[in-house]
Amino acid sequence: MENLALLWGIIGPGVAGAVFGAGWWFWVDAVVCSSVQVSFLHYLPGIFASLAALMFNAVNKDEIGYDYYSPYGDDSEWRVKLWLFVAYVVSFVCLAGSVGMLVQDALTDKGPSVWTGVAGVLQCVLVLISGLIYWTCHSED
Amino acid sequence: MARSMRTCLHSGRLALLAILVSGGIVLQILACALYNNWWPMLTVLMYLILPMPLIFFLGSNSPSMMSNDGDTWVSFTKFLTGASIVGSIAIPSILKHAGVIGWGALTMELSSFLVFGVAILWLIQMNSEDEYSSAF
Repeated sequence: MENLALLWGIIGPGVAGAVFGAGWWFWVDAVVCSSVQVSFLHYLPGIFASLAALMFNAVNKDEIGYDYYSPYGDDSEWRVKLWLFVAYVVSFVCLAGSVGMLVQDALTDKGPSVWTGVAGVLQCVLVLISGLIYWTCHSED
Repeated sequence: MARSMRTCLHSGRLALLAILVSGGIVLQILACALYNNWWPMLTVLMYLILPMPLIFFLGSNSPSMMSNDGDTWVSFTKFLTGASIVGSIAIPSILKHAGVIGWGALTMELSSFLVFGVAILWLIQMNSEDEYSSAF
């Protein structure tokens, strides 16, 4: 079991990068193969999902434990948890927005095709998964 | 006898590594020239990007790429390397999906990337092995 954790620590950041790249390349494929012009509004869920993944990876994992000593006082970890909550809200809104655009693309005949909506949802899901993978495996030395 | 045999084997492995890299380049050129369609040359941009994190962030610390004792810069380097690898696979796949290239060019592109990948991994293993065997 510890060998598996050790292997995850070695190849985990590479897997996170691969999943992140896969998410964005799915979106590039949808934009390139789309027969109509994709407006900038459809780019926003992917951009904000990448921003959310960056936000919760900016937190040091040691700072959210209850045995963390802080010179700012005994209750200072609420700032870190508030930042993580804001990152969670941003990622949730990204997923909701991309699913909304998928439904809109599926119901209307004019505008982007269904593959554009599906690729948008795939992009958000894969980018957020890569953030979680990087969170669980990167070292803090 | 043992020393000259080891030197001969080392030269043989280097020659085979050079043959692998040449084979990858030949497959890349064939994917463009056979069909007179030079769009797959976009993958060469991703090949240029692929070693940049290793060169910029690790430098002489490249053995930590295969171990667990690196710091945040090593994790970031692994992240960027993974993203670049997916880019090398994604560019020919998107060109095929858009109908710009055919199945033959896609197969040669992915084979070229596979050959390059095997060569790079073998080079990393050979470098770390040299450090190990030179200690004895």
